[in-house]
Amino acid sequence: MSLKSSIATAAGKSSYWFLHTFFKGGSSLPGKITKRLDPEILATLGRDYDVIVITGTNGKTLTTALTVQVLKEKYDNILTNPTGSNMEQGIITTFLHAPKSKGKRPLAVLEVDEANVIMVTKYIKPKAFVFTNIFRDQMDRYGEIYTTYNKILNGVALAPNATIIANGDAPIFHSKQLPNPIVYYGFDNQKDGDIKATPNTDGVLCPQCQHVLHYHFISYSNLGKYFCPNCGFERPELNFALNTINELTPKSSTFEIDGEPITINIGGVYNIYNALAAYSVGRFMGVSPAQVKKAFEKGKRIFGRQEEINVDGKLVTLILVKNPVGLNQVIDMISTDKDPFTFIGLLNANYADGIDTSWIWDGDFERLPKMNIKQFITGGERYKDITYRLQVAGIDPKKHLVEPDLDKVVEMIPKAPTKKVYILATYTAMLHLRKVFAAKGFIKGGMD
Amino acid sequence: MSYSLNVCHLYGDLMNTYGDLGNILVLKYLANKMGVELTSEVVSLDQPFDPAKYDIVVFGGGQDFEQSIISKDIQSKKQALVDFIEDNGSVVAICGGYQLLGHYYIGANGEKLMGIGALDHYTDKQKDHRFIGNVVIENEETGEKYHGFENHQGITFLGQGERPLGKVLEGHGNNGQDKTEGAIYKNVYCTYFHGPILARNNDIAKHVLMNALKRKYPDADLTPEADLKVGATF
Repeated sequence: MSLKSSIATAAGKSSYWFLHTFFKGGSSLPGKITKRLDPEILATLGRDYDVIVITGTNGKTLTTALTVQVLKEKYDNILTNPTGSNMEQGIITTFLHAPKSKGKRPLAVLEVDEANVIMVTKYIKPKAFVFTNIFRDQMDRYGEIYTTYNKILNGVALAPNATIIANGDAPIFHSKQLPNPIVYYGFDNQKDGDIKATPNTDGVLCPQCQHVLHYHFISYSNLGKYFCPNCGFERPELNFALNTINELTPKSSTFEIDGEPITINIGGVYNIYNALAAYSVGRFMGVSPAQVKKAFEKGKRIFGRQEEINVDGKLVTLILVKNPVGLNQVIDMISTDKDPFTFIGLLNANYADGIDTSWIWDGDFERLPKMNIKQFITGGERYKDITYRLQVAGIDPKKHLVEPDLDKVVEMIPKAPTKKVYILATYTAMLHLRKVFAAKGFIKGGMD
Repeated sequence: MSYSLNVCHLYGDLMNTYGDLGNILVLKYLANKMGVELTSEVVSLDQPFDPAKYDIVVFGGGQDFEQSIISKDIQSKKQALVDFIEDNGSVVAICGGYQLLGHYYIGANGEKLMGIGALDHYTDKQKDHRFIGNVVIENEETGEKYHGFENHQGITFLGQGERPLGKVLEGHGNNGQDKTEGAIYKNVYCTYFHGPILARNNDIAKHVLMNALKRKYPDADLTPEADLKVGATF
């Protein structure tokens, strides 16, 4: 380590200790300090690691957590970054915080924001990239899906030897010729038909000839076994495939990958993709299918963007929603609940939520009236928008309560007519709720 | 007598970036309250647009890539769309849809892409800058205020026969210079308001429905339909 790097590292580490001890936080500031002192610090810090970068719009956090869980079956020393620390400074902080490694070369499994992939690959040449998916997402911040993919590829271009482990069901990941070795995973659980995506799906043009893609089947949104009837462009051969989905509940999914029956303790088809991605990374890194299965089934509950909270005897599931595809997957997941429940939708429009609320109109709320929902509550700063959205979706006005004030929404939960309560909230609404839940002792501490 | 309206969701499978579908949902919702049956179907690439089949066209906004493909395809529908508009057909056109009804627009890479010139505006682009944020405008004819969210690099200048949808009170509007936002021509409503403009501005949705009903049922007494009260939803 150069003198400059040593000084920078020491400064970063001590600031981490200081912030962590006195302010119970500090995920990006130490990285910022270190980077200021040595702009190329990541090259020094990451030099001794085999790095796996996980990026994409949805599923980064859970795929990263599952991948770590899988790789632990074979590797002892794995570094990973906490949720929300997926930009350059947070990643530097993650390395600063790493315990000293002994013996074997350690692994780093890093969730990286799409635009920040290049900030990492400038200094570190990863062993593999994982591409989960690219959907429209808070476009006031991120822009269009093709722009997002190009940002990722700009980063990947600096690491042409890294293997790409990509969602083969996403047409966008098959749209460009790249020098990297590529491994595809995807779903092969349905009979071939000939369908098109619903009108409200983005990214459905054939990247070769610009006609609308058809599908043999669709798993969700624009993901599936696509083909172009005009030019013959089609989904690539899958290296790792999901063969069967046996059972879906809001809390678990049972399915088979390459013939191996697997259960994960989290609901939602989108999370099966995340598990499949983790499985593929595991296999790529030499973990056996039996070991992967064992890792998934260790019984540990895993939480992505959802968590369960007991509020005065009510079973509350708090779920972060931030874009239409994620929202629709959540709606799909709660539809698998066999018990009656209460539905709470909370909409804020601060910067972290996305200041444009248009996306709620892409959510398939029209499915709600068909579910066994005993009460609806809408609230948050933009309660008028979400309230009207549910009215247009056709929910029963007699079951619908409106409460803009989130503190009061929390007070309404114990009075809900059902034991189960699902809360779908945008980012700042979720933070607000967690704060209130913490103050009332329903949960411990804040979020990382 | 019961009324029905048929909506063409023009390129609805490609121009749908910002909750544009909300407009169809809201038209259906309000039509239903009026007792009017409203159906909709997507007309997309390589499909003809038959002006006789539709009462309303909804043409949403899309991503640059999709919009550049549509710029080519829409030329084959040009005459039919012009006929529909000149025959007082109702249109709601948003962002990219708005640009493509004009003469041309300059794409993100600086290339000039053709519209159909059904309306007399044209669209240039700002250099490395977008107008992003909330907008409030006032329809100077009715006094109605409309709320929306804009996110566009294009700057549009109105031409002959068009008047703005409203005067900009907050935000940037068509070009950030002349305080205009959107356009009205005959029964065509154009805007840079994102996606679900009709969801947040039920007044415009009601105008669109009433215009379409008057055109389709010229001899009917539409007083009960016109009496539908719509409120602010923002």
